[in-house]
Amino acid sequence: MFKAIGFILKEHRENYRQIIKMALINTEKQTVRSSLGILWTYFHDIVYILVFIMFRLLISGFGKIDGMNSIVYLLTGLIPWFFISDMLNQGSRAILSNKGIVQSIRFPITILPTIEVLSIVFRRFFTFFILLIALTLFGYLKCFSVVLFFYYFIALVYLMVSMNLLLSAFVAVSEDFHQLYLAIVRVIIYSLPIMWSYDKVDSTLIHILLRINPMVYVIRGFRNVFVQGMTQNIGYSAYFWISITAVFALGCYAQYKLRKHYADFI
Amino acid sequence: MIVVKDVCKTYVLFDKDWKILQWVFTHKGYQSRREVLNHISFTVKDSEVVGLIGINGAGKSTLMKIIAGITFPTAGHIQVNGKVGSLINLSAGFNPDYTGRKNIYYKGTIMGMGKSEIDSIIGDIEEFVELGEYFDRPVRMYSSGMSARLGFALAVYCNPDILIVDEVLAVGDKSFQNKSRAKIMELFKAGKAVLFSSHSDVLIRQFCNRIIYIRDGKIAYDGDVEEGLKLYNEDISKKGTRKAY
Repeated sequence: MFKAIGFILKEHRENYRQIIKMALINTEKQTVRSSLGILWTYFHDIVYILVFIMFRLLISGFGKIDGMNSIVYLLTGLIPWFFISDMLNQGSRAILSNKGIVQSIRFPITILPTIEVLSIVFRRFFTFFILLIALTLFGYLKCFSVVLFFYYFIALVYLMVSMNLLLSAFVAVSEDFHQLYLAIVRVIIYSLPIMWSYDKVDSTLIHILLRINPMVYVIRGFRNVFVQGMTQNIGYSAYFWISITAVFALGCYAQYKLRKHYADFI
Repeated sequence: MIVVKDVCKTYVLFDKDWKILQWVFTHKGYQSRREVLNHISFTVKDSEVVGLIGINGAGKSTLMKIIAGITFPTAGHIQVNGKVGSLINLSAGFNPDYTGRKNIYYKGTIMGMGKSEIDSIIGDIEEFVELGEYFDRPVRMYSSGMSARLGFALAVYCNPDILIVDEVLAVGDKSFQNKSRAKIMELFKAGKAVLFSSHSDVLIRQFCNRIIYIRDGKIAYDGDVEEGLKLYNEDISKKGTRKAY
């Protein structure tokens, strides 16, 4: 296990330039055929945000959720959600969609999942910016904590990199895993506190079950950045870092074991 | 220099894909195994051009992929001194939506080249591929020959020390073939170690100064070109004796 982690870290350190360069190139991979290019990504995001806000308005008006303005509640939830959903939907196909590279070019395959994650981070940067501006307009800048922001941002990237190492390995191995995984993603989407607050759930058991997913920590965290008094307890923070480190270790192990076989199986 | 020592490669076949995972961790659950390479050992020195012959499925491509570092041997080890330029599946790694020029940068980056390095060869490549205005058009508009030309140009201009050529000299039309052969010849003469696989006796005679004949995953002959070709052709004419996959 430690050998695997050491190997993955070594490959990342040795190829960090290539990782950054390829991540930058990949940011426009999907939209390169259109004349507006990457602007389409942002257009989609804005539409997505507006739909969310409209939806919220129609259902329950400008109520307060968790003592927050509902729009702020939505926007802060969407910040990490954009990243996580991209990671789940595209990032996990990192090895599968780079078949050409895996099968015919000598390449350190274990850096592919990280390249995809970084390219998502680069591409989403502007969306991030839109959300920050929106939150400022709502007057939430006064509580904005730069330190917490960076803390949760690092937590988010760590979560994405770790989960993607593991997920992309499973997805590459078998289409059955891929389909199963897509089904799980559906469940995850609606179990996250983006549109609704966990306070509405009475049962402590369900509360705990929902919070087992470490993504919840990051999503709540980004609210924490803008709203004072919404701190998370130390125990949950510790749980987040330990569980994600476990996922990272598992991901490294899976990649380390599978790296020599991708070219034969995919 | 290429040193191949006792290399074996076994492909493991599964009836269901997900069993791969079980196999990787426990070495159980596979359906059957197929030995493609069986204790292969040889050395290719610098300025040696080695022809690799054998019927389809004999293991030539697998061997070349192992030396190029794309797949890994089940046992044994490979030592390769210098940068490997592999002419295997030439149009792989191109993004069809990028222009030819951009694809050179893209695939160059994948191959681990720096921007300045690619900048210094892009002019030569543009001239060599003779694509004209198509060089700045998306690769999806290319004919298969055109994209193979692009791949060929990148592989030979990235200044490799060792060249692995897998049946790709039939790329493009007659004039490009002549040009690519001349370019390959130039690299051969520059003292690079070359491993060259082909089904054409003419090309083997023209380029190679040594031959390795692979039969059923083993080296059946290693040495003089004419002798090797004779043995190979004799085997082929003995119908029914060859194991077909």
